[in-house]
Amino acid sequence: MELRALLPRLPRGRPRLRPRNRLAVKLIALLAFAGPGLVAANAGNDAGGIATYASVGARYGYDLLWMMVLITISLVVVQEMAARMGAVTGKGLAELIREHYGPRWSLFSTFAVLLANLGICISEFVGIGAALGLAHVPTQVSVPIAAVVVWLLVVRGSYKLAERVFVAMTIPFFAYPIAAILAHPDWGSVGRAVVEPKIHLTNAYIILFIATVGTTITPFMQLYLQSAVVERGLGPEDIPAERAEVATASVFANLVAIFIIIATGATLYVHGDHTVSSAADAAKALEPFAGRFAEALFAVGLLGASLLAAAILPVTAAYVIAETFGLEKGIARRPREAPVFVLTLTVLLLVGAAVAMIPGVPVIRLLIFVQVVNGALLPVTLFFVWRLSRNEELMGEYRNGRVFDAVAAVTVFATGALSLALVGLTLAGKA
Amino acid sequence: MAAAETLVFHLSLVVGGELRDAAGERLGRVDDLIVRLGDEDYPPVTGVVATVAGRQVFVAAEQIVELGPGFVTLIAQQLDLQHFRRRPQEVLLKKDVLDRQLINLDGARLVRANEIELARLEGWYRVVGVDVSLRGLLRRVMPRALAGRVEPRAFLDWASVEPFTGHVPTVRLRVPHPKLAKLHPAQVADLVEAASHNEGEEIMAALASDPELEADVFEELEDSHQLEFVEDRSDPEIAELLGRMETDDAADLVLQLPEERREDVIGLLSPFQARRLRTLLGYDPATAGGLMSPEFICVYADATREEALERVERSSLPAESLSWVYGMNTHRRLRGGIALADLVRTAEGERLWNVLRPVQTVRADADLEEVARLMTDFDLTVVPVVDEEERILGIVTVDDVLELVLPEPWRRRFGLLGSD
Repeated sequence: MELRALLPRLPRGRPRLRPRNRLAVKLIALLAFAGPGLVAANAGNDAGGIATYASVGARYGYDLLWMMVLITISLVVVQEMAARMGAVTGKGLAELIREHYGPRWSLFSTFAVLLANLGICISEFVGIGAALGLAHVPTQVSVPIAAVVVWLLVVRGSYKLAERVFVAMTIPFFAYPIAAILAHPDWGSVGRAVVEPKIHLTNAYIILFIATVGTTITPFMQLYLQSAVVERGLGPEDIPAERAEVATASVFANLVAIFIIIATGATLYVHGDHTVSSAADAAKALEPFAGRFAEALFAVGLLGASLLAAAILPVTAAYVIAETFGLEKGIARRPREAPVFVLTLTVLLLVGAAVAMIPGVPVIRLLIFVQVVNGALLPVTLFFVWRLSRNEELMGEYRNGRVFDAVAAVTVFATGALSLALVGLTLAGKA
Repeated sequence: MAAAETLVFHLSLVVGGELRDAAGERLGRVDDLIVRLGDEDYPPVTGVVATVAGRQVFVAAEQIVELGPGFVTLIAQQLDLQHFRRRPQEVLLKKDVLDRQLINLDGARLVRANEIELARLEGWYRVVGVDVSLRGLLRRVMPRALAGRVEPRAFLDWASVEPFTGHVPTVRLRVPHPKLAKLHPAQVADLVEAASHNEGEEIMAALASDPELEADVFEELEDSHQLEFVEDRSDPEIAELLGRMETDDAADLVLQLPEERREDVIGLLSPFQARRLRTLLGYDPATAGGLMSPEFICVYADATREEALERVERSSLPAESLSWVYGMNTHRRLRGGIALADLVRTAEGERLWNVLRPVQTVRADADLEEVARLMTDFDLTVVPVVDEEERILGIVTVDDVLELVLPEPWRRRFGLLGSD
């Protein structure tokens, strides 16, 4: 074999002893920072998320847009706490829960994360199959290939490579704004809808409202973000930069969601097509009103989002298991060095892809089940995130400030209550 | 182990148990046990934190007569109420140690305390070990009645573990240096990389009293971690550390520093060290010049065996830099080399030019592939780097090359923020 092929890339050129232009350095640093926050936030716009946003737009037009503003603020608050904790403590959320709340809570959340992530993982592979299905690639071909690609990237690639690919996978998200523009919405009413709350007091509206909150703020996002911040080796000095990254990423991710609502609101809602049950449905439904190009764009966005989440979910589950049991962890470990980490990843990908390939998988029932598990887990995760990040012993000078803490408390309790309400409604068979 | 003769019991069963007076009446609930970390292998219990009538109280060891699964019994009928206050070197077992990371010094790896084992030893209750097995963790999730029936099995002897105590305000610098010094610097570096930043700082702090070991550990740390522990230091501190490191590793560390600090730090080195470092830094790090160490032994070819050996004896260089001795002519041109072992075996009084063998050399701009290929083809562990006039500039040793040609996933064991 050619020796050069084995060699790692080495820095070329002479090292600099004198500083480069400071502005250039800062700009490069900023770009390089498109990292864990962006990955975490965008993984929330996965197959399930797109399906929910599309239904929101198809069913209620722009009437729920005002809520996206509140959800964005909540997401920023929650993700900021998780990122800050990772930077200050150097430990993942699962590890901190274990250390501060003992093995019972820790095992509960681990088990719930595993179950929920497995469920979402299946739905991502269904999403991948559906997106490529629009291009007439059979599921039995697309899903196994996607699973192998994701496995290789996560297990055999390096952390930096994996993160770069994850970030690159968010590029297809720009398809949604374009699809929204192609749908020719009435921008005036869009603007009004953002600032003016319109509440329908119907069961369906309330359930869709809660489902949107649940799909935008999901436990795996906090767990992944904190572990990724730790793995990236960020410290307290990186907090301002990471805070900026988390905030912009959350806003970006939710803008994408808003554009999905606008795209479907301007077409399906206006033309009286109020039912959308999956993201691929939404793409197909868009075609008659906004053209084949819009349909293709929608499919590309769905593919990117599903691939991204299909990679992040098993990684998060593996992080959580490794942290709970005190095992070695990390992306791109060789199987021998972190066997449980790699095993968790492999099992999740394998089961996720295999189930997604079974013809006639009851996707909707599966998603409802996932929603219940996530709904039960979210209040727990959020509560721990909030309690730990205001803990003076743990966080020292980086603990929540007073005003922030109050906002965080409101966010945590409101989101937690909504999430439990959804669990109740689902179990009662109303959803 | 002596503890095996006595009854070993779990911390998690003591905590949550009853606080009883001498007559066996229930006074309150046991919340935590306090132990004093010190020089003893098995730290003694120095008190109990308990809740009595809704108040948290402290019970000193002198008031306790017996301690076991589910109970702590006092000597007296009355409880001498005291508020709990942390005393120096004391830790709360449940709050500060249980469920947290420990260093297992035997295996040089990090473990998590799933259970803490106690026993009466040398007349008093002491911590004798930690259970790091899954079994230990699952037992704690079970209801108390069931958990009590599970006998402790093999656990780690406390003498071979060290807890991290950076989060305990009253305990300073616990990780003892002598225990760490028994590990290989590479093992210490692995621990630092596997631990969280604060835990890593604790280990590095323990090394502060031994700058030589600290420098050795730094040589073994991955680039990103080197930066992590150097960032907060002042320029003179970094310069001191660099001074103790081998020049080629020191050059790598300088490259990790922010550009605006590099000149300042190098300026604080001795002129000799600074010159060597600058020479190395002047080369592209991906070439023989960037890989080489400027430290080697090269004598005039007419020197005797004894003169050459004396140079080796006086040298403070690491062994791998001394495995070959080189000879040069009066124009300082490299004439050849001899392996140290062969030099030792030559007849007394022999002139070097009689025994020197021609050696393979590379130019400073040779790339890594060329160096690696040459070393593989000729089975070399050292290659001299020469300039146009065949003057020796430095040597590339096999360890420096191996580190780079190893495929990336084989190299990284922790952290995975490897340089690329």
